[in-house]
Amino acid sequence: MEVFRVSKNVWGQEMLLGMSWDLLWVPVAAAFAWIALHQLLRLASRRS
Amino acid sequence: MSGSAADEIRHKWPDRVFHWAMAALVLVLLGTAFLPILGLRFDWVPIHWISGVLLTAAILFHLYRAFLVHGVRSMLPSGADLRTALGRARRDETAKYDLNQKLYHWSVAAVILVLVVSGGIMMAKIDTPLWRRDPSILSDGGWGLVYVCHGAASLLLIFFFILHVYFAFLPEHRRLLAAMVLGRNTWPGRGT
Repeated sequence: MEVFRVSKNVWGQEMLLGMSWDLLWVPVAAAFAWIALHQLLRLASRRS
Repeated sequence: MSGSAADEIRHKWPDRVFHWAMAALVLVLLGTAFLPILGLRFDWVPIHWISGVLLTAAILFHLYRAFLVHGVRSMLPSGADLRTALGRARRDETAKYDLNQKLYHWSVAAVILVLVVSGGIMMAKIDTPLWRRDPSILSDGGWGLVYVCHGAASLLLIFFFILHVYFAFLPEHRRLLAAMVLGRNTWPGRGT
């Protein structure tokens, strides 16, 4: 999985184009992981 | 309950209008940015840049309200916030925002600032009724950095947006949601 999008210019040099959109799932997964962790902590605090 | 905390106006209507306008514009901006990447083809560029300009105007209005009407003090982390976070003091129930809300606000503010500045620079690459495109203002490497900043900040914004919606709908935060819809800390016909 690439972090950045790159291409080559007419001289064959690598050019940075932007973030790789392969990463699009990362913030969604991170947010749902955070939510799951928060729910677990809420559950634990209610039981204690 | 006349005169109770539930009857107090937590957010005045100009601030609520700003909040919901920002929410709508962020949704439009995220949709026009990412739906084409996910395969939905449409002419997204005009909708995206016009929404970006409107968001910038909304943020300027918010800055005017924050600095010249309310003051930023209630949003600044304080020593009391740190003592509460460390478990050395009880939360000040009279404080408008807790430490989590303040940290969330400043995180999103930083992300939006990066988006607005980088997005503003990127507008040099499009023709609008006001100016002709001029990509020569930056080198290829410079443009790459601007696009990386805009893309990374937009990914962070997805993360923060999902968390914001989640926390807004938690049962213990319903009064905060009521305040952002109606101004007061209570829904009509309910005690809390």
